[in-house]
Amino acid sequence: MSQAASPRRWRVSRRGFLIATGIAGGGLALGFRLALPELQLWLSEWAEQTDASTGAPFAITPNDPFAWFEISTDGEVRLFLTKVEMGQGVMTALTQLAAEELRLAPSRIRVQQGPTSRFRSPDFFGTAGSTSVLTMFAPLRQAAATLREMLRAAAAQQLGTTADQVEVADGMAFARAQPSRRLTFGELVREQTNWETPPQPAPLTPPTAWRYIGQPVPRLDLRDKITGRAIYGYDARVPGMLYGAVLHPPSLEGKLRRIVSVERAKQTPGVQQVVVERDFVGVVARTRAAAWQAISQIEAEWEIGKRWDQDEIERIVTVGGPGGVVIQRVGDAPAHLQGEGVIRAEYRTPFAIQTPLEAQAALADARPERVTIWASTQSPFMMQQQVALALRMRPDQVEVVPLLVGGGFGRKSFNPEIAIEAARLSRAVGAPVHVAWTRQEELQLGFLRPPTHHRLSARLEGGRIVAIEHEQASGDVLFAFAPGLAKQLIGNDFGATRGATIRYAIPHRRVVAWRRDLPVRTGPWRGLGLLANTFAVESFMDLLARAANADPLAFRLAHLPDTLWGRRMAAVLRAAADRAGWGRPLPPGHAQGIACSTDVNTVVAQVAEIALEEDERIRVHRITLAMDCGLVVNPDGARAQAEGAVMWGVSSALLEEARVSNGRLAALNLDGYPILSLDRAPAVEVLLLNTTNSAQPYGVGEPPMGPTAAAIANAFLALTGRSLHQMPFTPQRVRERLSG
Amino acid sequence: MELNVNGSLHRVSGDGLLVWALRDELGLTGTKIGCGIGLCGACTVLVDGEAVRACITSVRTVQGKRIRTIEGLAQGDQLHPAQQAFLEHQVPQCGWCMSGQIITLAALLEQRPLPDEPTMLAALSRNLCRCGCYTRIRQAVRSARLLVQQQEARR
Repeated sequence: MSQAASPRRWRVSRRGFLIATGIAGGGLALGFRLALPELQLWLSEWAEQTDASTGAPFAITPNDPFAWFEISTDGEVRLFLTKVEMGQGVMTALTQLAAEELRLAPSRIRVQQGPTSRFRSPDFFGTAGSTSVLTMFAPLRQAAATLREMLRAAAAQQLGTTADQVEVADGMAFARAQPSRRLTFGELVREQTNWETPPQPAPLTPPTAWRYIGQPVPRLDLRDKITGRAIYGYDARVPGMLYGAVLHPPSLEGKLRRIVSVERAKQTPGVQQVVVERDFVGVVARTRAAAWQAISQIEAEWEIGKRWDQDEIERIVTVGGPGGVVIQRVGDAPAHLQGEGVIRAEYRTPFAIQTPLEAQAALADARPERVTIWASTQSPFMMQQQVALALRMRPDQVEVVPLLVGGGFGRKSFNPEIAIEAARLSRAVGAPVHVAWTRQEELQLGFLRPPTHHRLSARLEGGRIVAIEHEQASGDVLFAFAPGLAKQLIGNDFGATRGATIRYAIPHRRVVAWRRDLPVRTGPWRGLGLLANTFAVESFMDLLARAANADPLAFRLAHLPDTLWGRRMAAVLRAAADRAGWGRPLPPGHAQGIACSTDVNTVVAQVAEIALEEDERIRVHRITLAMDCGLVVNPDGARAQAEGAVMWGVSSALLEEARVSNGRLAALNLDGYPILSLDRAPAVEVLLLNTTNSAQPYGVGEPPMGPTAAAIANAFLALTGRSLHQMPFTPQRVRERLSG
Repeated sequence: MELNVNGSLHRVSGDGLLVWALRDELGLTGTKIGCGIGLCGACTVLVDGEAVRACITSVRTVQGKRIRTIEGLAQGDQLHPAQQAFLEHQVPQCGWCMSGQIITLAALLEQRPLPDEPTMLAALSRNLCRCGCYTRIRQAVRSARLLVQQQEARR
């Protein structure tokens, strides 16, 4: 266990805990802080995926508290968290951790995404990077165990016995000698006035006694989601609220030159006010339709900016030239990749868009001294800070209430704009204003997954790879929004290079990354660079296996090091292959491909089974996935994440490509940017392995999408003898490869 | 103007699209909005028992018809078979598309004779899910069909 969760640290009540009695209606509240070593844990593990040399300490020092318990006098246990639910099941998994130590069923804990004011210092990480469960695993259990021991001590006092004679179970405490006299948590809280943290470190429940951790506990948020009661940012409502819309540029580099006339907007029925402030033009109306109608009536002159086209951007995102950063160096790869006999291949991935089906939306109630925002966001604290900056207020004057997120996928990890728009309009009209973007705005004003280019080179000797190089160019992923963090890294956007390093046991390895500045906003997308980098590296592995005349599975296994990681990877490769029937006869016209990846310390292997349809469309029939994500808190939740991640991979591999044309995005709705539908979705089977009996959970939300595109491309290679080098694998690209 | 929604009459302005009348005027935010062009299916509601996309349906055209939204699908605490199946298989992730998925399935389940499974899956292929809950949607369709068949058999 890390230092952060060590009992000694938690024992110090005044530093480690915030204890408050006398909260509304009486009760007990207990917060805890997520100390630095916990965060270093995930950062160092994340850095491991890219380059050990960038794993230097990050200057991120969150203080207390990142979680907050409340027990009301009627016995309700509430847990407030900084993390947000966007479908990944995090609220259920984290509640399971608390439930285990509180000895209370998860369904009896009311877990809530805390409003920002509930926490004394900001959680700027937000909910991202597949890290919520792994970073909270130790401290949340420790806090819950401490709360349990405090309840036990209180019960001992009230029952006239000693703490060691008290049992705590199912929301009640009783003396073993007198089990009929039971005190509920509510009764305990009502009677107790002097709370003390236990003199002894609160013991954690041993894994052998776990009742909730490791169980497929049903999701706590689903009943509301199937009955229409769940409230997302787009659904936020308060009495007397109005609807807003804001004027946006028509092109990527568009700038407002001048407003010609707002008269027609003002005369649109239902319009309350047209707001014009220097660079900001918006309308507030009594209905959403009126707001949208009015904003379309504003006459403005725009400076369109450069009329970028796709080809120009692709030329920018090409490896080579100055500025490349070596992010991995083992041996001397360049010396071994000279002259004859070097195998080379290039790969490209396109712009893609997260397209959460809930577009950006926020409701703001701006008062002179205080602003309240209700929104869908993965980063409530960043939103709070950015709204405060935009309104020239202090962050503590801005309250962000995070509502359910109708799909995040990175798009809502940095989305303060929508809240700022709502807040400015609300301040201008002196009433609460809801702003929701249309699908067109969502696509036009978002940030994209950057295109990437990869050049791979390798040399084989005696059927083994002796040297390999991966040169990679990408638009920014994390650098786009994290300048403070970026400064501490040297040139390497570790989001873009996620999955780019080569961990096979090859004597000479080198990975070089180029950051490319693009005229299009780019940023996080589920898995960041993982899918693109894995597509390149793992597709290339199959080309090398073919050159070595080796079976792709055997070839990979032969190149795994005899390390913990190597053994874990071998286990998932074998498990996926066995279950998929690797090497056994398939239906005519079918073929299989295999690929693997490592991310947030989770290893994943996938076998894709595909066929080619008459119109050269690739049909992915089945994906068999094996994943070692360490200790699994909720196996059904982990499976669901893996199933969804595979669909993301398939969608990306076969369909998704955003194009820039004449200075704007070519497609501004889902008719021009198709995403995967049920009829094209493969069957997915997920095998969860904890091959090393790890006592620690790793990442689950993003890692399982790593291998999908490569596994499909490798199946295509097995089927046709032709390799695929550019995502998505559209019928046109397939035809080109088959005829070329 | 009045709309018959979930068994009772509600006053609405009568302007614009059904999706906004339901969500913004009546506060029935269980009906979602995804694309605004009738493509993703997040806004699907029942109009006289048929699945209709509320984002491309004007309020005037549904006057006098029976509208059912996700909020009106369960009978008290008794979930509709489509809802039961989605819960049993823990289908939703973010949940934004799920009202539309469930309503689309509910419309199919209320047809007689009951459509076969491929027909149901083909219909649900017009409801997009960005979280990629498709493997579980398939399982839920199968379960929901069975549930309805069992209910019929008991009658």
